[in-house]
Amino acid sequence: MKALSHPLAMLGIVLAFVLLGRVLPAWTLSLATVAASNSLIALGIVVLARTGNVSFGQGLFYAAGGYGVALIANSFGLTDAVVQVMIGAVCGGLLGLIIGPLISRYTGIFFGMLTLALSMVLYGALVKTTALGGSDGFNVGRPTLFGNVFTDPREADFMLYSVSVIATGLAGIAATVYFRSELGLVSLAVRANNLRVEYLGVSANRIVAINFVIAAVFAGASGALSLMAQRHIDPQFAYWTTSGEFVFVAILAGYQSVAAVFVASLALELVRSFSNLYLPNTWQLVLGAFLLAVILFLPRGIGSLWTSANRKSDQPDAPAPGAAVTEPAE
Amino acid sequence: MTAAPLLEISDVNVEIQSMPALRGFTMRVPQGSMASLVGRNGAGKTTLMRSIMGHLTPKRGAIHFEGQDLSAYPRHARAALGIGYMPEDRGLIPQLTVEENVMLPLWVTKGIDKTARLDFVYEVIRELTEMRDRKALLLSGGQQKLVALGRALAIGTKCLLLDEPFEGIAPALSERLSEVLASLRGKDLTVLISQSDMNHSRSLFDLEFTIERGANLAH
Repeated sequence: MKALSHPLAMLGIVLAFVLLGRVLPAWTLSLATVAASNSLIALGIVVLARTGNVSFGQGLFYAAGGYGVALIANSFGLTDAVVQVMIGAVCGGLLGLIIGPLISRYTGIFFGMLTLALSMVLYGALVKTTALGGSDGFNVGRPTLFGNVFTDPREADFMLYSVSVIATGLAGIAATVYFRSELGLVSLAVRANNLRVEYLGVSANRIVAINFVIAAVFAGASGALSLMAQRHIDPQFAYWTTSGEFVFVAILAGYQSVAAVFVASLALELVRSFSNLYLPNTWQLVLGAFLLAVILFLPRGIGSLWTSANRKSDQPDAPAPGAAVTEPAE
Repeated sequence: MTAAPLLEISDVNVEIQSMPALRGFTMRVPQGSMASLVGRNGAGKTTLMRSIMGHLTPKRGAIHFEGQDLSAYPRHARAALGIGYMPEDRGLIPQLTVEENVMLPLWVTKGIDKTARLDFVYEVIRELTEMRDRKALLLSGGQQKLVALGRALAIGTKCLLLDEPFEGIAPALSERLSEVLASLRGKDLTVLISQSDMNHSRSLFDLEFTIERGANLAH
């Protein structure tokens, strides 16, 4: 397991997944594209959860990335998929830079509710903005890659799949390196006790703000990927149920492992697809039962399946990020 | 005592939820001295240390460190002045290893020789070398006290504030702790140790302050 967590080995895994796309059936390809894109934003929530805070409003940055890319694509004809992902990340990141320092003064449920409120403010504004298509949104053109136009649907799907897997994979590698870095470990200290660490010279607000901006960058890039897959954007990107879905993935994954985020996202997409197919009227029930089962049997998320085996239970039973509550010092 | 005070507490009043916890407490700790702050439970020892570290803001009075008014420094900027604080409940980060716990304050402080500080900590508390890779949550309470002391020592280049370091540890470890503290003498460190009784190594200290219901008790 340790050898697999070397950045080069992880890069190899990402490339292997890209090649796997060549042999995957078409329906799996689009499902995997959605799963990869969702895991990118969920990864951001996990990065933030490592400071003990959960954002219930990542849809804000998801929509910022999506709308930013869509507007730039339609105004300047920028259709390159890689450039669009970068634009999405920048749009999300810029908004994160504005909101992060303000919101980092709050913790726990106040933090979560504020993020939710901000995302709903954007939703409301987007619905009322007729210039952006109001609640119907607007369409964008087909993405290209390095000047290549993909007319064959299979090739277009594969291109999207590759871009999603590589973008998410690179973010995953960056997150793994970050988690092991000094700043990543300081984030865990903030999670353990955000007041007590200040005695050690750590500005908890600064650490939360940094993690918040990283989460916003990931969310913006994820919004761009989603936009490319749907070729349409509407205010639903910022709606609270959209944000809730990503928190779902983060809770399923737990905060200890980056790989778990991808597994959780794929598992959620699979459960959703199959329950939708076989139980069209009660698929939400199946999804809920699945989530309950994971919370009951794996309270620290899917990642605990291999991180506990690795570390021989040297971690205390900490709740999954969704249930994370920062304990204030007396 | 001719040395200039490194830490000067002047007529400090602190309230916790409108209840006075410190009432005009005054104290001058000269540079390089080893001082003891004695008081019963609830006398205000921890409150004083938290006020120095910026967790509580005095309603009146001032706290000076090296002649500078600490009220100008936010909570997280005080450790970098060279103040190492060891809370009574240790406050280690359970998921991090012993070495990571000790290094934590050094990671966030600029202009400090991290390796030299870590070596210094290992030299003073040899036990930490053996447990450097162990997770803090796997340590016994006494071992955790040593790690917390090591962490305070890492960042506390000028001053150590140790809140009841002898409380709740086995006699053998308590002796070892006294030994470690005694070895700090002559290293240009100013140490303030709070205790609820004076049973521990009276000979260790240069001077003693007694706190009673948040105020100075005249000797």
